[in-house]
Amino acid sequence: MLADLFDPAFADSVARIAVPILLASLGGAICHRAGVFNIALEGFILMGAFAAVLGTFMLGHVFWGVLSAILAGIFMGLLFAEFHLRRPGDAIVVSIALNLIGLGLTTYLLRSVLGVSGVFQNEALGKITEINLPVIESLPVFGSFLSGQSILFYVSIFLVILLHYIYSRHKLGFWMRAAGENPLALKTVGIKPTPVKLLALVLCGVCCGLAGAQLSISNVSLFVENMSAGRGWIAVVIVLVTNGRPIPILGLVLLFGFVDSLSLRLQGFGFPQQFTEMMPYIASLVALIFVSIRRMKNLVGMRGYDNG
Amino acid sequence: MFAQLHDISVNFGEVRALDSVSLDISPNQIHAVVGENGAGKSTLMSVLFGLNVNYGGQIFINDTRKTWATPSDAIKAGIGMVHQHFMLIESMTVLENIILGSEPNKYLGFLDFQLAEKKISNLLETYNFSINLHQTVDKLSVGQRQMVEILKTLYRSAELIILDEPTAVLTPAERLDLFNSLQDFKNAGKSIILITHKIDEVIANADHVSVMRAGQLISSLPIDGTSQTQISEEIVGVSKTKSISRKKIKAGSVKLNLSNLDILGMPQIGNAFNLEVKASEIVGIAGVAGNGQSELIEAIIGLRSSKSGFIEICSRDVTGADISTRRDVGLCYIPEDRQKRGLALGAQLSENASISSLVSKAFSKGPFLRKTKIRNFTEGLIKKFDVKASSPSALASSLSGGNKQKLIIARELSLESDVIIAENPTWGVDLGAINQIHHELLSMRENGHAILLVSSDLDEILTLSDRVLVMFESELSQSFCTEKVTREELGKLMLMKASDKKEQKKINTA
Repeated sequence: MLADLFDPAFADSVARIAVPILLASLGGAICHRAGVFNIALEGFILMGAFAAVLGTFMLGHVFWGVLSAILAGIFMGLLFAEFHLRRPGDAIVVSIALNLIGLGLTTYLLRSVLGVSGVFQNEALGKITEINLPVIESLPVFGSFLSGQSILFYVSIFLVILLHYIYSRHKLGFWMRAAGENPLALKTVGIKPTPVKLLALVLCGVCCGLAGAQLSISNVSLFVENMSAGRGWIAVVIVLVTNGRPIPILGLVLLFGFVDSLSLRLQGFGFPQQFTEMMPYIASLVALIFVSIRRMKNLVGMRGYDNG
Repeated sequence: MFAQLHDISVNFGEVRALDSVSLDISPNQIHAVVGENGAGKSTLMSVLFGLNVNYGGQIFINDTRKTWATPSDAIKAGIGMVHQHFMLIESMTVLENIILGSEPNKYLGFLDFQLAEKKISNLLETYNFSINLHQTVDKLSVGQRQMVEILKTLYRSAELIILDEPTAVLTPAERLDLFNSLQDFKNAGKSIILITHKIDEVIANADHVSVMRAGQLISSLPIDGTSQTQISEEIVGVSKTKSISRKKIKAGSVKLNLSNLDILGMPQIGNAFNLEVKASEIVGIAGVAGNGQSELIEAIIGLRSSKSGFIEICSRDVTGADISTRRDVGLCYIPEDRQKRGLALGAQLSENASISSLVSKAFSKGPFLRKTKIRNFTEGLIKKFDVKASSPSALASSLSGGNKQKLIIARELSLESDVIIAENPTWGVDLGAINQIHHELLSMRENGHAILLVSSDLDEILTLSDRVLVMFESELSQSFCTEKVTREELGKLMLMKASDKKEQKKINTA
């Protein structure tokens, strides 16, 4: 039975589920570490997914679709910056507004520009190029996880490593960490925190745009209303649990992809759907419990406010 | 570096914070700037460091006129500042904190850690500093954090270093190290500006002293030939200093009683605590900060629970009771950290003043607040304690440090609780306010209140207390009669195990 469960198709589906959440989590992490409480990832992704379909359909190639998705993400980042950095809007309020705008605007444009409601599907929509890696593709199980994925899969893995090094060895990473932890300290050494936060929002837009593109022109070739379907919120949770550290994010996203694929699989084995659909969320809860136990231990060690 | 501030004026709204202040800073000198809270010292320095750019007047560095758009211009011109509240990123290492904002580039913005480490190691060697560059800052002591701040300025090749209240948070030994380093910088040709309240430190270490009062420069003189009394008089202006004397009163019944109290989470494993404070008595707990004093206070006020033993307030057992029960029985608390525990900074003065007694009938009618009563009450406190505030509806954050402290003390003492816990009540407060706070505490004592005073300022303890205990490594020494013990003896105890009974006996019989 195990061999039936963990076959190449299973490994492939882990990767496909993981990539958009990974990209969105990285975007969220960039904001989180720079001290911008961005919980509008859902709206960012949705705009990216729609722009990817629109760009591909209008301009005739997935390259333009990916580019449009990036631009749409940046647009959302700039919108966030306008209301939260330039004007004193509260980050939570701005996030809620952008989530609603993401849903409303894509639904509206779907009707007014593409002339359909609910789903847009067209033969002109392609898929982002998938890369087959020689040798690796013939590995058992892992071959279909590591090979044959869209370019964005490899981009996202590269981004995890890049981000890790940027935080530990690059001055932009230093500035972003400082802007998040103690903006006044950054100011007193002569770096203005606001442009650093703006940069974080723009980079978050790029990542979330790519996440959207992966959803709409790689995993499938269509746009469905509200197709982000909570992935942005899962990314928010992952960012908060990992405190925005790239390597743990990768681990947690893969765990989530694994459990989610497993739940799809188990449906095929006759497990009740209501049970299998719970699994990813139960896994998240368990992860949260572990993390909070560890944090509580740290807190008690530091200060003994034990009776409230 | 020669730095000249010429005719600097700053207005905050309608308040004139600085009024045509001119100051000359020379190299090879430690230049002390002294004055009360709100005298304008910090404002003047924020102008010099480029944090405040809305000012009138001119800045000259080595005879060239300069204007700063941001602190980075001032940093480039060779000015460094060690802020009173440290500007450090806790999750970063010492090395990362030092180079933040002036990172050595390797390629594409990636950092050259080796170059940075070499440069910093050279500095450490030159000035005899010892610190682990790869330790994260959150694990450092206050003194070490200050060293990191100083290294930040040295790393940027500062020729003029401004230190804002650098000794307020240091232990005596750390203070000594700091002043030794400052002498080294001075001998290396740097200029030092030392902002402080402590006149004895100025006399002992500075070369030049400038006194500020109410936004004006009162005097600027070389330290030779200037006396301590002269400086204090200039700081305070008209002689506000009243002499402090404790009347002889017989202490009454026990108001606060700790019996074999074993507190959770003490920094070191200590013995159980036994302590009594009687009516009309001030009991002082001396000791270097971080030896368990704050944990002891938290246990008394109910922020921290205990493993065994009990606490009695006014002969009532309150060991497991919550904070409000303890306050009802008769406890009030003047916290050390006025920003975090003492006040709600974003709330109005009247809200802050009434918050301890909102449930009382005087301020509420059913679920509603009696705004006028609260306002009148607040105005009364402001007047009685001479809190400098525009109105009861001003925000607490608009008060200067000393006035915040006065407001807290006014509020807590107005409760007329039997037991008063005062934790470093004059920390970072100016001379005039210190005097006033001391007088208020003494008059509470005369009115029969029991006061537990925890302070790292030995002079304060000796001036106010009837009995004094020393806390070291989470243990309390036995109690001494203030008249029968000397500064030096207490100083020794502050660095010695309380269980070392021999030494204690020697002092006791002396």
